Amino acid sequence: MTGTRLIQNFSGMQAHLIVAPHTATDTLVTTLLKLGLSVASVRPTGETPRLDPAGLESERALVIVDGDLPLPGMAASGVRDLPPVPVLGLVGVEAPSRLKGLLQFGATGLLRKPIHGASVYAALYLTVNEHGRRRALEEQLARHEERRRGRRHVVKAILRLMQERGLDDDAAFELLRRDSMRARVPLEQYCEALVQARPAVPAPARRIALSE
Amino acid sequence: MTERHRIGVLFSTTGPYGLVGRAMQNGAVLAVEEVNAGSLGIALEPEVVDPKGEIAGYAAGADRLLDAGIRHVVGCYTSSSRKEIIPIFEKRDGLLWYPSHYEGFETSENVVYTGASPNQHIVPLVQHLLARGGRTAFCVGSNYIWAWENNRILREALALAGGRVAAERYFAVGETEFGQVIDAILTTRPDFVFNTLIGVSAYQFLRELRRACRARGIDQPRALPVASCSLAEPELEAIGPEAVDGHLSSSVYFSSIDTPRNRAFTAAYAARFPDGPTPSADTESAYIAVHLLARALARAGTGEVAAVRRAACEVAVEAPQGPVRLDETTLHAALTPRIGLSTASARFTILAEAPAPVAPDPYLVRSAPRIVPVLRRPRLRVVPS
Repeated sequence: MTGTRLIQNFSGMQAHLIVAPHTATDTLVTTLLKLGLSVASVRPTGETPRLDPAGLESERALVIVDGDLPLPGMAASGVRDLPPVPVLGLVGVEAPSRLKGLLQFGATGLLRKPIHGASVYAALYLTVNEHGRRRALEEQLARHEERRRGRRHVVKAILRLMQERGLDDDAAFELLRRDSMRARVPLEQYCEALVQARPAVPAPARRIALSE
Repeated sequence: MTERHRIGVLFSTTGPYGLVGRAMQNGAVLAVEEVNAGSLGIALEPEVVDPKGEIAGYAAGADRLLDAGIRHVVGCYTSSSRKEIIPIFEKRDGLLWYPSHYEGFETSENVVYTGASPNQHIVPLVQHLLARGGRTAFCVGSNYIWAWENNRILREALALAGGRVAAERYFAVGETEFGQVIDAILTTRPDFVFNTLIGVSAYQFLRELRRACRARGIDQPRALPVASCSLAEPELEAIGPEAVDGHLSSSVYFSSIDTPRNRAFTAAYAARFPDGPTPSADTESAYIAVHLLARALARAGTGEVAAVRRAACEVAVEAPQGPVRLDETTLHAALTPRIGLSTASARFTILAEAPAPVAPDPYLVRSAPRIVPVLRRPRLRVVPS
């Protein structure tokens, strides 16, 4: 598998701006428009900013949030959670609590206030592509986790074949691998179906006659 | 009553790229003289500073001009010099009128760009090459941003068209030893060579490639055409007669444009600067910058930066290349892309020309794919049995 595809042209994306009222965002908005984005403002009035991530189109949306606001209000509960859309953090007060807030919010890029037009494209590039890379990694991790859970079925299936056909473990695995490939399903899934389709035949009594 | 405005002129007319600097300064000076003799009702008083191609000279020069109360400076050729002084213009609220083609990905409220941005030079060149059936490129360039960025755009366009870049080779600025890369090109036999070498490196490369092709009986302009987006008339003269013809170049201006307006411009230039250098796209761009500035000053009725910037977007210049206007959002100019083929007399025959000025797109928002295209490796390979 190749790495994540890099996005370099942000035209057609919508930036949702979460900043306090009266914040100077002229330069930011002007630059975003030059870069082909549309801008929607989500201006909280004294409350914790709230944005429904389900309402955002993950492919085209981007959240820009001001770190000086009380955070969070979106999906992120811990640093590990990746929000469904890329988040760009605006840094005003450069204090650990504010930076932590942005990180917990899921920011993958930062832009220092006051905003300078010439740093917006670089921040967007990093935010969007780093988010994409982390999402790809999380998906990959989820796939591995899924397969790891399925390994017990593989072990069971190998044991079954060894018992039923008198194969050694390598030969049993090879057979399962080949059959799963023919059936075009992942090995784990194939083995699970195999084990569940036929309840286990009790193994012939093989006593190790220590007492005999 | 004639209103007088002092303006700064900041070109390196001496130093490593003094030839280009002189060509640009001449364009600016010619325009100043035309404005002063014209009927706009304003007079320009140029204050000339030569940074001598040294990066520190640009910052010092910009400070000196702004200290003297000047708000408008026409100048810079290289991107590094421009990047160096933009913060000064932003901090002190001056307006830099930057007259050169460049690699894009920049806008500033304190810079007016009258040269071509990438959608006006490299993009039309790539389209032209693809239309001619070019699918395999060999890229040779000077090792800096101009070459890297142009090669990226070419690589992506070829990827989308199912073509490929056979190799990318970079050389230090000023390098003149190209034997190995020419051998590699002759072995690879690409459809075309994409040249982003600058200055003496480019001239030497073109001479050596032509020589190597002659020695092997290869008709280089036909079999191995070289395409560039920075090759201009003064450079053709520098290449010399042995290898001057048959090179493709993409530019918004060639001195051979056959219109009454351009004939008047080249005649006026030749009369004023009989010793040259020959006018190039950058000369015309500096000429446009001064004319645009003069019209904006006349319209604004003041030298105040915000008013002049606003006015600059409301006026138009009938330039040697055709009509030129500024785009309000990016402060870049709408220009007319052309493809030229160099001739033995160190001029260009125009092969293709956009029917109308093309709006600038410095961030390639309208001209580049959303996702970086990747060159596909062939899935199957022919292996000798």
